[in-house]
This record gives sequence, structure tokens and C-alpha cells, in this order.
Amino acid sequence: RLATMSRDPPRHPPTLAVSLRVNGAPREVELDARVTLLDALRDHLGLTGTKKGCDQGTCGACTVLLDGRRVLSCLTLAATCDGRDVETIEGLSADGHLHPLQSAFASCDALQCGYCTPGQIMSAVALLREGRAGSDAEIREYMSGNLCRCGAYAGIVAAIREVAAATASEGGGDARL
Amino acid sequence: MSSPDRAGALPLVGPSEDRIDGPAKVAGAALYPSDVHLPRLAHAALVRSTIASGRIRRIGTEAAGQAPGVVAVITHTNAPRLARGPTGQRFMRGPVGQLVLMTALHRHSVGQLMMTTPSPVSPLQDDRILHYGQPVAVVVAESGEQAVAAARLVEVEYDPDPEPPLLELDDPRAEVLTNPWMLDMARGNVGAGLAAAEVRIDASYATPDETNNPLGLFATVAAWDGDRLIVHDATQWPYGVRETLARVFELPEDHVRVLAPFVGGAFGAGLRAWPHVILAAVAARLVGRPVKLGLTRAEMFTSVGHRPRTRQRVRLGATRRGELVAIDHEATSSTAREDDNVELVAFGAAKAYACPNVATHDRQVRLHIPCPGFMRAPGEAQGNFALESAMDELAYALGLDPLELRRRNDAAVEPQSGLPWSSRGLHECYRQGAERFGWSRRSPEPRSMRDGRMLVGFGMAEVAFQFFQGPCAARASIDRDGRAYVRSAATDIGTGTRTVMTRLSADLLGLSVGRVRFELGDTELPMAPWAGGSGLTGALGAAVHQACMRLVQCFLDLVKNDDESPLKGCTLEQVTTAGGRIVRADHPARGEAFGDILARHGLEELSADGESGTPAAMLVQGIVSSAARFGRVVPAVARKMGARAPAPAFAVKFVEVHVDPDLGTVRVTRVVSAVDAGRILNEKLARSQILGGTVGGIGMALLEETLTDPGTGRIANATLGDYLIPVNADVPEMDVIFVGEPDPLTPIGTKGVGEIGLVG
Repeated sequence: RLATMSRDPPRHPPTLAVSLRVNGAPREVELDARVTLLDALRDHLGLTGTKKGCDQGTCGACTVLLDGRRVLSCLTLAATCDGRDVETIEGLSADGHLHPLQSAFASCDALQCGYCTPGQIMSAVALLREGRAGSDAEIREYMSGNLCRCGAYAGIVAAIREVAAATASEGGGDARL
Repeated sequence: MSSPDRAGALPLVGPSEDRIDGPAKVAGAALYPSDVHLPRLAHAALVRSTIASGRIRRIGTEAAGQAPGVVAVITHTNAPRLARGPTGQRFMRGPVGQLVLMTALHRHSVGQLMMTTPSPVSPLQDDRILHYGQPVAVVVAESGEQAVAAARLVEVEYDPDPEPPLLELDDPRAEVLTNPWMLDMARGNVGAGLAAAEVRIDASYATPDETNNPLGLFATVAAWDGDRLIVHDATQWPYGVRETLARVFELPEDHVRVLAPFVGGAFGAGLRAWPHVILAAVAARLVGRPVKLGLTRAEMFTSVGHRPRTRQRVRLGATRRGELVAIDHEATSSTAREDDNVELVAFGAAKAYACPNVATHDRQVRLHIPCPGFMRAPGEAQGNFALESAMDELAYALGLDPLELRRRNDAAVEPQSGLPWSSRGLHECYRQGAERFGWSRRSPEPRSMRDGRMLVGFGMAEVAFQFFQGPCAARASIDRDGRAYVRSAATDIGTGTRTVMTRLSADLLGLSVGRVRFELGDTELPMAPWAGGSGLTGALGAAVHQACMRLVQCFLDLVKNDDESPLKGCTLEQVTTAGGRIVRADHPARGEAFGDILARHGLEELSADGESGTPAAMLVQGIVSSAARFGRVVPAVARKMGARAPAPAFAVKFVEVHVDPDLGTVRVTRVVSAVDAGRILNEKLARSQILGGTVGGIGMALLEETLTDPGTGRIANATLGDYLIPVNADVPEMDVIFVGEPDPLTPIGTKGVGEIGLVG
């Protein structure tokens, strides 16, 4: 029965009006109901910093923060995000200054091709907020949902460790973290 | 002024500088091919075959064609007839191939010819199915969602071949190619050597298919403007893609432009044009609009190559003291039914050790599989694994330390040609690597080392990694503001090409890095070889070096008779560059700025071109090696004339693993890589290359295997949830030591760091 249904072309694919708050700014988009949050950001809002590495929720390249929590935007339908807050890589340096994690990723060479990097950094932002950067082992464990095929893992751990240490020594430190 | 031969005077290890495109990448501002958006862009999705061999009986496109948003459904019944792209390496076969090879050697293009894979068989040309996952239709729609949904509506009926598909290396029905590239190596008499050996090892090894799986899904955006084609593509070789597309669509090459300023990794998958690149251009032409064709992760397993599986047999013969007297290395790998790839698996064994009797044999078996392609350290990764594992078996049989066994068989000269190496830091790799790792703490008795409950194992392997350097061009310009622009069509796939070439240009022209812009990834720029074979830095560096030198010479020519210039009449040897100025070497206060010279002569800009080819020494060695099998006369003459063998990069890896005695699980806990890769231009980035390669090696050793369903040829684990690559928690402490010396035979002293980190 399912197979029969799938062969019946939908004549009127439903579209939906979706209101998002993206990096602090309200955005209205008219979307095909099938559009994921990832494709909404990339194809409809021009925010291509968030990457598609698998479209199956297995690589972490599409990680964004939804109401402050990290989500895989490829497995999140945009329509379910109506009225919610989305933070993407572009939002971290919206004021023209790199976020401390972005600077640390660059200086620790925590990237090579750079494709997984936005997702890595968004995960790292959440990791620090969640207080999960207590040791290298903890960082490795909690960053293991973000794959890097170039193998820049050592630099990724070093960058997060560096920012975590700086934050700790400043007693809470950068408000943006 | 610095000239190419000054490389030896430069430091071995250059400064650690941050990646120049790091800020753009961490901000999400770097534009990869999949990020390109054009007005009126349509989206394409593939329909792929669900059988491995047979024919399409019927393909129903009516439902798909009527689905919302669909612009076109393209199948073999309505696709345009396409020509076949260049099929380079087929010329390599047979006696004619030998002749072509020798001619090519003399024409200094051996690197290119030997390592060039052919273009793919043009897609959608007939009803035949040659592997599971072969594209059988392309659906073009207004949006990606519509294209994917409509692709599911395409109805394909097949007539599978009555015989089951060829999927196994040992299938007796499969065609076997013996010595497919005429590069089987031989010296001495390996049969006699083995027969006379006091100790013999005869070991078999198997390695599985592995898939490159760069994180960046490959995507092509194609747009036609009349009979001109612009393609944004995830490639490591824009000129190669341009050549393929020009041939396929029967266009002059300069009517095709290929852009790849950023590539989301490739690891060899971007070293040729693939069918989907052609299909994107076909679709764009048919619908008269730009088309984006992005591959899915599942399609990345069947559409852009993979590391082919191997079966290998290594026979070693040695004296009781551990001196090798014979090495025989046989390797069989898989290839496609009607497409070709180069995978030299056994080849490397000939240069590994001093050993009088050596034979290597490479074979390929044609199967109904997606065509394999290069994957980081192709051939070498599998072949070296087998050879070094056999060496460990030999060490065990002799009761000898594995490191000591390798020392006793050190190839003091290049063993195939007998020529002295141009550089050889392998001993330093042994010494410094062993010291850093603490190899002396190794206990040879099995199960004798423990850390708590865990069994601890120490292991080591060495590798000589031959880089391939193709011809390359670059152009350097300086404008009236004293800014330099250096350009070449190379790609930076994350290796750091942009960064090291900007620094090299800045140093040569005496400018700060901020005053130099290095542009790449565009076929409108001077020709560059692929970012592959660990040879781009050497090739491009040499071309950039020459372009910058010639540019300074152009400025000197301009002021040759200029009474107002303090540089009047100076030769290149009499000047140097610093602070944006050309100054007299004997009198650094006397000189002038590039911009001032241009202004006085009424010029806006001055440019110069540089080129580099395969180093002549590489060709000499190739010829001497080939001749060596017919006797020792040619090598002896070459030696007398002072010829030297261009050294590969050398490395030794020391690894500690913990094995759970109850579960048998293996965890890598420590890795030390000691590497002689010649001159290191930027320590931070080179270190990242070695570390990244090591992570790939851990994946290959412990995690990665592409599984093919035996009956159907379907890839059974085509997701990153099922095909496991190392995650952050899999990666241990890793250390890298660079040793050796700048290699005097390459213009800037480098030997390549892109792949050697994976091998060992």
C-alpha cells in the first residue's frame, strides 16, 4: 500500500509560512513542507556556512543551535522550527569579530578543508555552554558526533581546551560563549 | 638573489603560520561548489541502477515528468550522444605502450601520463548496466525536494544478465589484467634467491574496499552560455575536468571553465571527472538553465571512486642474520568492467630494501563494480601494509627486533637503479622516532606488556613514498600599489596550498604576506597539475619560484638604461628583495619600490610566467631502472656520470595499541611519526597533513570497510553511520618529527607530505 502511495505524484505539495529568528533577526519564509532546516538556511536564506555532509544525521556538519541546543539541521524539518531561535556559524561573528572559538580553530589549525568546521564550532559552542570541556577525554567524547575526514581532531581538541581554559581563568569570561 | 639551487641553504622546517583561509573557513564564508547559487538555478537528482549487470528493458518517466516542479527527465533514450573523454593510460599497455612510455619519458611528461586516469565512460549512452548504482536517469526540477521526490517515480525495469554479476576477485569468469601498466619491477633472480634463502616467509594478505568519503558531498553546478560551459565542481584537478568536458561535448578547451576555489576534501576522489559532472552539464544544456547536481552520501560510495580491495602474497627470503636475499610481491586489485584506474600495489616493494633479487607483480580483475579511483596513498597504503607485515613475520621468525631487521636491510642506494639517493633521512627517522616513542622499552614476548587489564603492543613500520610531480605553470604580477598577484589553476583541498604559496611568493618578492594574493582553483589561470600524488607543492612551488624570479628580472630589464634608478644595469645576482623594494645586494640602502618603477615608466602592472616540469632526475632514474633489468651497464654509466635517484619521502611510524584480552578490541593509544619529507614549508600545516594522514591510517587499519552485497553488488553500508571513519574519541596522542634535509633535486627542496602520513 505504501509503494502504491509513493507512486502517486502529489499534485499540490503543501507550502507553509515559517517564521524563524535566525542569528537574532526575524526571517519569514514560504517553504515546501519537506524542506529541512538545513536546506531552508542554505537555499532559502542564503546562509551557506552550515554544511550538508550526509543529510542523514550521521556526520554533524549541519549542526546549528535551536533554542540554544545543538541539533542536526538535516534531520529537523524547517516547519517544526516556527517561532524558534536558530543560531548558525554566521551568527557567531555577526559583529565582524571572530568568536573566541573561531579564532582558536584558526590558530590551532583545527581544520583543513574546512567543510566540517562550522558544525564543529557550533558543537563546541554548545559544549562549552554545557560545561562539557573539563578534560581532553571529555572534549573528545562530546565532540565525537562531528566527523572530520581530514583528521584535524588533535587541533579541534586543542582549540576547545584553549578557549575553555581562558574562560575558566576569566571566571565566566566572554559573555558570548 | 635566491635561485632554485639555493633551496639547500634554506632551513629544513619553515615557520608555523596560520592557514591564510582559516578565518574565512571558521566564519562559514568559504564558498564550496555546493554553496554556489545562480539565478534560475534548477536542481538535479539521480536515479541509479539497482542491479549490477544487465540491460534496461523499459524506463517509465511519465509519472516523474508530471510531478510538481519537474523540468526534465533524462534517460539513455533522450540524452544527447556524447564523445568519450581522454583515455590516457590505455596507451600504457602492450609493446606499443612501452614505446609510448619511453617516448613520454623523454618528453618529460611521464608523471602526468603514468598517473593520469582516463575520463569516465560517458553516461546515459545505452541501456547496458555495468555496476550497481550506475546513473540511469537524471531528474531536473525547480527545487531539490521536487527532484528527489520525482526521481522516486521513475520506473526502471531490468533484464539482469543470466549469469550472476562478477563481484569477487577470485571469480574464474572475470578478466584478469596482468602487469596492466608495464610497471612490474624485477632485478636479480627471485626464484633462485628464494630457493637459496635460509629463512623464508610466505604470507597472504587481504585489504577490503574503502571509500574516500570526504565530508563535502561532491556537487557540480553547470551553466551554459551559448557553446561555452562554466562548471563549479568539487575537483582536485580543474584542468583535468576541463579536458574531459571539452572532449565529451566536442568543444575547444577554452570554451570550458572549471572553478574550484574551495573543495570540501576529496582524498583522491577529485582526481578525475566523474559521470555526474558530465550529467550536470548535459542537464543544464537540455533545460537551458544552470543546474546543480549534488551527490547524496550513498552516491558518494558508487559515483566518485574508492580504494579497491586487494589480495596479496609476499614471499621473503633471508639469511639467518636477517639479510634479505629475495622479495616477491604479488598483488591483485579490482577494477571496473569498462573503465580504468591506476593502482600500483606491489610496485613500491622494489625500492623498499637493499635486496639482490626482487620481483613485483600487479594484476587487476575486471568486476561489475563502480570504478575504483585514487584514495589517499593509492596502492602504497595496501602494498606497504602487506610488505611491512611480512617483514614483521620475518623479524619474529629470526628472533630479531623489527627495527633492527629493517636497519640491516637499509637501502643505502636506490636499489632498483643502483644510483645514490638525492636525500635520505630514514636513519634519522629510525633514531629520533624510536627515541621519542621509547621503542627500547618494547618486550618482544607476546602478551608480556600490560597496562592494568589491557595488553599493550608496540609496532613499527617504514615507508618510502614516491611523489609524482607533473608539469605546472604560474603567473606573478605586481601592480603600481606594490601588491602582488600570483595565479595558478591548482586547488587547495585543505592541504594549505594557498597558504604556503602566498608565503613563498611573499618571501621571493620581498613583500609582506598581506601584500600578496594567491589565486587558484580556476581554469582561466595558468595550467596546474592535480592536487595529488603528494607532488603539487613541489610542482607549483617551482613554477611560482620561477615566475617570481622572472618578474624581478622584468623590473631589472625595465631600469636597465634608467639613469634615475639606483638599480640601473644590475643583474638578478646583484640584487635582493625586501620591504617591497628591489635593493642592491652590496648596498641594501640603494634600491627602489616596485610601484615607483612602474609609475616612472607609465605602467600599471608587470607580469611574468613560470613553469616547472617533472624533474629531469626522475626521468633519468626511470630510464636507468627500466634498463637495469637488462644488465648493469646502464646503471654503472649513469653512476659514473653523477646521476642521483630522486628520493621519495621516507617515514617510520611507531604505534602503541591496547588490546582488551577478553573482548579483543583494539585501541590505538599513541603514535609517533618520524618523517623525512625534504623541506617543510610551514611546520603547522605540514604537521596537520601527517596527523590527518595518520587518522586516515587508523581508520583503514581498524574501522573502514565498504561492504558489497554478494548477490547484487549493492553497497550495504553506504552511510557514515554504517561505514565507520575515525571520530574524535578514536584518535590518540600523536607526535610528528620532521627530519632529513631539503632535497637538492627538487627546486624548492620539498618531497611531499600529503599522503605519507597514512602509510605505515
